[in-house]
Amino acid sequence: METEKKFEPRIVAMLCNWCSYAGADLAGVSRLQYPPNIRVIRVMCSGTVSPHHIVHAFQRGADGVLIAGCHIGDCHYIRGNYMTIKRAKFMEGLLNFAGYSPERLRLEWISAAEGVKFAEVVREFTEKIRTLGPAPSFEASPRLATAVL
Amino acid sequence: MKTKIKKLLEEGRVDGFFAYKTIHGFFFPYLFTKENMDELEDWKPSSARYPIAKLLLAQARKNPEKTYGVLVRGCEERAVHELYKWNQLDREKVVMVGQACTADLAADCECWKPFPTDVAYGEAVEPVAKSARVEMLEKMAGEDRLKWWLGHFNRCVKCFGCRDVCPVCFCTECSLEHNKLVETDKLPPDSSFHLVRAIHMGGRCIDCGLCEEVCPANIPLRVLYKEVGKLVEEVYGYKPGSDDGKSPFTFLGDELMLPPGPR
Repeated sequence: METEKKFEPRIVAMLCNWCSYAGADLAGVSRLQYPPNIRVIRVMCSGTVSPHHIVHAFQRGADGVLIAGCHIGDCHYIRGNYMTIKRAKFMEGLLNFAGYSPERLRLEWISAAEGVKFAEVVREFTEKIRTLGPAPSFEASPRLATAVL
Repeated sequence: MKTKIKKLLEEGRVDGFFAYKTIHGFFFPYLFTKENMDELEDWKPSSARYPIAKLLLAQARKNPEKTYGVLVRGCEERAVHELYKWNQLDREKVVMVGQACTADLAADCECWKPFPTDVAYGEAVEPVAKSARVEMLEKMAGEDRLKWWLGHFNRCVKCFGCRDVCPVCFCTECSLEHNKLVETDKLPPDSSFHLVRAIHMGGRCIDCGLCEEVCPANIPLRVLYKEVGKLVEEVYGYKPGSDDGKSPFTFLGDELMLPPGPR
């Protein structure tokens, strides 16, 4: 009997060491339930997430990328997250222009005390990606050239 | 061109001057110095474009004590301004003499400023306010746009021509050559190759379009970078190539200038 394989989103989450990662930790120790679809990468500051990494994640087949850092004003490095928001805004526009849904990239501020918010964001984002479906291929392919040009 | 540039060289205001010379009937960029200044020709309009700012940068790096003059179009002036701001060229060591582009060239480039601030040669023509190609793409549905781009990126042979010709690509080490970020031994390269370059052009691309002119695969790169420039202008109010201001990605800034988003 054939059963259709259910689509499970793959989400790369880049969490800042000082706030969001601790927030995720709190969600864990508080035994809050959230979908297991995220793969967490701990970074020292959300401002260290280079746009390269975001594009690279999509290239390698991520369905969504979540970046979470400290609230504005709470950054451990004073103003590191100013850069994050500037880049994220720019990336959104660029992904959109490249034909990629900008909704697949999400930026959230999650403090170390916001375990509930963390679980909520992951739940919401996973559902969002589930409705968007699997990410389109990012691979340049000769087939597409004949189909479009 | 003869008198003005000759005067600069004779007075010792500049040690060398980058202008054009006809070689075998074609315009070529050429470095004139006191020794060969008799070879200077009369100015005439042309559509020949070269990464003259990049040649200037290479010479300035080799001879940091020398002052160079350069014959610039609108785009080349913007490139030099941008190189000042990124601390690659010294304002005191560059003298610019402007030439305006022809109306044909301006229309071809969809150029928003086809003339430098001070026009010494030629007549300034009307700029083109909007890019028809960007508008065409913006009207497309997202899915079609992705296919359109992937179809074009597919032809890339990874010759690095777009990077090598770019006047504002001044880095001595390039992340596009980093095999952890862009896989080597793969053709066509990951489409992230072009997106990463586009990201780097944010707050930097002065829209000269040499990348597209030089591309052996005819990838419409200029459209991509035009949109990048438009995004930076819309969100941060910064237009690369102006005499003042700085790219929003080079400094942290204060809270007031942050774009709207989650707080």
